[in-house]
Amino acid sequence: MKRIHLEIALGTLFVIASAVLLIIMASEEPARLARFEVEQRAEQIEFGALVFETNCTNCHGSHAQGIPGKAPCLKCPEFFSDRLGEVGWGGSLEDYVVSVVTTGRQVSTRPALYQGEGTGVPVMPTWSDQFGGPLREDQIRAVAAFIVNFESWAAEPEAPEAYPTPLFSVDVNDPIAVGRVAFVQYGCVGCHTVEGLSTATTGPVMNGIATRAAIREGYESAEDYILTSIQNPGDYVVEGFNDGVMPINFGEIISEEDLTNLLAFLMTLTEE
Amino acid sequence: MISSLRQRLRSIPRGPELRKMIWEMIDNRVRIITAGLSMKELRAVLRGDPPTEKPNPRYKVITTSFIAHLRPRYYPLGATWFTHTFRLGWMTTFFFVVEVLTGLILMVYYIPFPDQAYGSILEIESNVFLGELFRDLHRLGAEAMVLFTWLHLFRTYFTGSYKGARTFTWLTGVALLAITAWLSFTGYLLTWDQLGYWAITVGSSMAESGPVLGPAMNLVLRGAPDIGTGGLLRFYLNHVILFPLIAILVISIHYYKVSREHGISLPADIEEGNASDQRKKEANRRIDLIPDLLSHELFLTSIGILALLAIVYFDWFNSPLETHANPQATPLDTKAPWYFWWLQGLLKIDPAKILENLINPILAAPLFVNMGIKPLELSLLLNSKFIMGLVVPPVVVGLLFAIPYIDRNPARLARKRPFAILWGIAWVFILLALSYMGLPEYGIETPPATRVIQDLAPEEGMGILRETPYEELIPGIYTVGETNPEEICGSDFTYTSSQTGEQVIGCAHLVEVFTEYSEGLLAAEEDGLLPDLHAIMLIERYGPDLKRVGLDVSWTDEATGETKTYTKHYFLHAERSLEE
Repeated sequence: MKRIHLEIALGTLFVIASAVLLIIMASEEPARLARFEVEQRAEQIEFGALVFETNCTNCHGSHAQGIPGKAPCLKCPEFFSDRLGEVGWGGSLEDYVVSVVTTGRQVSTRPALYQGEGTGVPVMPTWSDQFGGPLREDQIRAVAAFIVNFESWAAEPEAPEAYPTPLFSVDVNDPIAVGRVAFVQYGCVGCHTVEGLSTATTGPVMNGIATRAAIREGYESAEDYILTSIQNPGDYVVEGFNDGVMPINFGEIISEEDLTNLLAFLMTLTEE
Repeated sequence: MISSLRQRLRSIPRGPELRKMIWEMIDNRVRIITAGLSMKELRAVLRGDPPTEKPNPRYKVITTSFIAHLRPRYYPLGATWFTHTFRLGWMTTFFFVVEVLTGLILMVYYIPFPDQAYGSILEIESNVFLGELFRDLHRLGAEAMVLFTWLHLFRTYFTGSYKGARTFTWLTGVALLAITAWLSFTGYLLTWDQLGYWAITVGSSMAESGPVLGPAMNLVLRGAPDIGTGGLLRFYLNHVILFPLIAILVISIHYYKVSREHGISLPADIEEGNASDQRKKEANRRIDLIPDLLSHELFLTSIGILALLAIVYFDWFNSPLETHANPQATPLDTKAPWYFWWLQGLLKIDPAKILENLINPILAAPLFVNMGIKPLELSLLLNSKFIMGLVVPPVVVGLLFAIPYIDRNPARLARKRPFAILWGIAWVFILLALSYMGLPEYGIETPPATRVIQDLAPEEGMGILRETPYEELIPGIYTVGETNPEEICGSDFTYTSSQTGEQVIGCAHLVEVFTEYSEGLLAAEEDGLLPDLHAIMLIERYGPDLKRVGLDVSWTDEATGETKTYTKHYFLHAERSLEE
């Protein structure tokens, strides 16, 4: 057999083998496409969680549980059952989230619950980079995917683990450290600034609160003033701030133990 | 009318006459299509018989057809010996054709706009039938084309095939190397992921470092100070129109010179006359393009296609796609494609530092100090990015262009040009050494906590944390130095893998992750890099089918006494792919 014959024979064989490979790939392709789409959605939810954690937790809480008076819960049943009807949205919930995050909210739709910071400041800022915000469209779509993913939990809530959040390495026997975590967990960071923890201007700055509380007139002690202010915010309103902005139900929400820890933490914030 | 039709029908012959007429009609058509080969001749070609007519109809194909005219009618056998050419030039052309064909298909789906480019790539992978295959083929073909261009260049250099009449061909060849490099460089950006965006940002920042014209060059290249809509469009047009056209033009010239003007070089021992007469006679024997060489090339094509398909099918090659490009976040380990590692390595050399280290110890001698001479500070004068990025590479490419003019030695045999051969081997090693220096592992220091976490779960790609099955991510707080990795889960912990459906006992992956994490950090603490180390790994449920893994490290900074922290959060979904 001459070389040319061998080459023609082998070449024909290779072409047939290539065709067979191609047919196998084509037959597996629909399954691959479907799998890719599922995995892509999973990665979008992961990415959305990261974007959410970086940008949204200040107002909507560390786990999207919402912060009373500040911003609503995004994983609660009402959000999935009632919200679209409330605002009269015709499209899907995911599109609704995309739309709200993109443009933000100039005026609150539920002023009785979420007042915002008065005129001139939107209740929710604009997030899309098309309108001067920081997020790209794919990031906003990922956040929406992450939030819509909560739907199965909204129907059947799963108890979250009782871990301190955010992830500071916390000594659970140290009331100051646990109180610091509670300050984040109960959403105080959403409105009050503490150096190294939050930057918010809705409520008074907390740095130096222990020193100021000690000289506040009409209270037995600094501790008394701070406790009263948490449980009954209207008792004393700091100049320049309005009554009725801070929720009045913290006294019921926060457990006694957490309240003690929170107080211990706030008492460390002295002014020099 | 009917009667005239009847008349025509009657004029059609019957029996053997009819058969002959049909045969002639087919034969005529075949001759037109094949530009000269009759059916009989085609049969002879396939059977390996000699030509059936005179003059040889197989030559007629070439002399009468424009396309086939590009090819010579025959080659000297010696020029086609496998051990002489290794078919490297042919393979390069093959991959160019693969690139054009797969590229045309990808062009139908790709959108060259920053907001949509990345999405359109995902669309190709998730919603286009065999889209992933075509993307893989395009990427694989590109890398193969670069590889074979380099190999072809070295082959030509070592066999001395650039001398005499072939000087200009060498020039076009080096130009093709540059064009290939530019085509792959521009294609790198189009996926608009972190990998491409930052590789191109780093690469094109070399232009910016030039004197006087630097900023202007940068603007021309990127369309704006940073790569954005304009930059992507420019790279896209460079990639799909301008440079493919230039490549086709230069390939044509290169090919014309090789095949029609001076021919492929014969092995050196044949041209320079110390081979035996019989070998010379054999080398000069004609080998016809049709059918011998053409069938060989079709054979090579079938090998090439099968190899490409097999590599993609068996997952030996996957075209990478990282996360969406983010101009605000520079990734930790930026990496150029492997064929540019040598350039990245070059950029890590700081000539100012080297000169300072050489000269300053001399200047520190009492004699010079007394004379009032201060140590040199050259970094302002010698910008390393400018020198290593904008001066050295063009000089190297210029040298490459000039090789046939520098090397005036007419001999081609290796032993008659030992210096040139050594010089070539030295360059192979220089390129390999520079490529090694271009790796992110070389010469870049990453803080220990960042390094440990980056190795566990890199910003891009998988890493052992992301390879951990969802079921094994058992919620809890695990403290480095306190939690025993073996005790994270007992042997009573079992789960059914959602990926394979098998029953798995224990949590080997999670144990591995925590062990690596602990060992890396504890080793750094032992080296004194992380005093007062306190580190945890916290796993919690964050949503339905979604868990958060937090890696949190704190230590005391030796210099300031402050507590430093490094925290990284990872979100892992149950449906995520555990493979890259």
